[in-house]
Amino acid sequence: MTALARPRRLGALRDIGTGIAAVGVKELRGRMRGRRAFVVLTVHLLLIAGFAWMIEGLAERTYSSGFGGSISASAEIGRTMFTALLMLLTLIVLVLAPASTAGAISLEREKQTLDLLITTPISSLAIVLGKLVSALSWVFLLLLASIPVTALVFTFGGVGPEDMVKGYVVLVGTAFFYGALGLFVSALVKRTQAATVINLVAAIALTAGTTFLFVFWFAMTGFGGVNPDQVKRDAGPLQSLTQRPPEALMWFNPFVAQLDVICGTETGFGGTCSIISGVTSQGAIGDQQFGVPRDSYWPRSLAAMGAVSVLLIVLSVQLVSPTRRWRFHLPRPRRRPAGSDA
Amino acid sequence: MTGIVWATGLVKRYDRTLAVAGLDLDIAEGEIFGLVGPNGAGKTTTLKILATLLVPDSGDAEIAGASVRRNPNDVRRVLGFMPDSFGVYDDMKVWEYLDFFARCYGISAERRRRMIGDLLELVDLGPRRDTYVAGLSRGMQQRLCLAHALVHDPAVLLLDEPASGLDPRARVELRELLRELRSLGKTILVSSHILPELEELCTSVAIIDRGQVLVHGRVADIERRLRVGAVFRVRILGEGEAHEAARAWFADQPDVVTADLLEDGQVEIGFHGDDDGSSRLLATAVGAGLRVATFSRAASDLEELFLQVTAPDPVTTGVPA
Repeated sequence: MTALARPRRLGALRDIGTGIAAVGVKELRGRMRGRRAFVVLTVHLLLIAGFAWMIEGLAERTYSSGFGGSISASAEIGRTMFTALLMLLTLIVLVLAPASTAGAISLEREKQTLDLLITTPISSLAIVLGKLVSALSWVFLLLLASIPVTALVFTFGGVGPEDMVKGYVVLVGTAFFYGALGLFVSALVKRTQAATVINLVAAIALTAGTTFLFVFWFAMTGFGGVNPDQVKRDAGPLQSLTQRPPEALMWFNPFVAQLDVICGTETGFGGTCSIISGVTSQGAIGDQQFGVPRDSYWPRSLAAMGAVSVLLIVLSVQLVSPTRRWRFHLPRPRRRPAGSDA
Repeated sequence: MTGIVWATGLVKRYDRTLAVAGLDLDIAEGEIFGLVGPNGAGKTTTLKILATLLVPDSGDAEIAGASVRRNPNDVRRVLGFMPDSFGVYDDMKVWEYLDFFARCYGISAERRRRMIGDLLELVDLGPRRDTYVAGLSRGMQQRLCLAHALVHDPAVLLLDEPASGLDPRARVELRELLRELRSLGKTILVSSHILPELEELCTSVAIIDRGQVLVHGRVADIERRLRVGAVFRVRILGEGEAHEAARAWFADQPDVVTADLLEDGQVEIGFHGDDDGSSRLLATAVGAGLRVATFSRAASDLEELFLQVTAPDPVTTGVPA
């Protein structure tokens, strides 16, 4: 790198930073104005606090009763609360992250403000990152506010601070991936309503859809059955599925990644660890294998989400840029651009 | 290449539609340049190419020495653009709107504060500083959009139909504002359908049709070059016979191409002379005893030029030197 190239690159980086700050400040001003933000934050906290209280009540009744009681009842209650809260927060992130980016670009198009934005010197990358950062800031604020409630599990034991950190790392990664997905869809389709619906369908497909497909594939290949040969005979045209489903099928399902985090808190075998071992080829669902490697799945899942997020951001930048190199869009009737006289 | 805005051989297609077909422009610094043309002529596409919103299929344009193809970011720094159909962030206050765009240009907080106050005064929105953009009238939003294009003190302004949708008062205010901006040294390229306004405002015009510049220059120069005639309407005092006699008299005069009697009793004259000729015609008519009550042009110079140049068989076509 020459001495001349360095200041130019630094200047480009400074320009991107300026653009992200400009777009971010504008977006956050809009989001945080008035009482709406505080009302949503309060409802969010009341929801998870109420949910934690209900789970604690149920777990206490289960683990402290005559049959279910044990000397480690408090730790079991803590683990149950932790599991429930992580799953609830994952669901919240899964809904909120794409929803908060679904209108990021399409709304600019609908309001006819995108042209004004593009004719400023801020780059398409800064526009996309500014939108993503501001949308995720809001989701991160909700996550941050939930930490004290989640930390209540420490009073019961069974869960260490490192488990909570891992759980929140997965939540942040999930928010980033589903936020980037929402942004890409928003840049791809013209209407916010359509973008919102597509994002919702995509989130369901990547969670419930992949789970169903995984279990179905697993069953058809005979890995999950009592009598694999019989299952294979019954599979009909699906007999060609001889390989077990790949782990990658579940990488974008944050619930499975959270199960791996929860597996790290469990001392025995079975429970969430057996599910993870089934997904990661360590054994069949229902098997209780010894030696399930802890913390092996969620980092891979997070890395996959991160890599695809970067790809989605690059594609979004291309879609926003008026001088983009690649052109791809959804099929639509041929017509002149709106607002053009020619 | 001499002007601050310069384009050569611009071509842009939308699917099979040729929107701009080898358009050339050369606009000198400090001009208010009018882009005139019928719907679908390619005005908006041309302005979007100059504003770096569209990449031309071929040809190039430069603004203040920066190419729209090679250095779009440099172009954006010297350019203020106000699109035809613009939107506003209606959940922002007026000062926040300008503050946001000023941030986009990396203007410091201190300069932003000062500049926002000055701009709001310039576009007469000072008292509306803390009003939400959604609460502004169409004319005010138009002025705010113009202010947004000025936050970085650009050398060139591109305004696409800036007066569309404005009431007469707002149009007059906008015209005054553009004159003020010209006095501040800005070069303004403005497209409009409202030809009399452009004529009054612009130092030069280009008439474009089917994506090409048919003619450009100062209105008076174009008139002289094309020898375009004028249409006059004359109101004669008296009854039917007097009107018919006047029509016959005008029809016999030199340089009068047509003389028709209108239903309201006025005589419409197609005149192929210059201003001296029309002055002589009026004096001769009065001297001949015609009781002339009014003698006026039926349409503005630019409208006549526009109609003549864009007619199916125009007086001249092709790009003038």
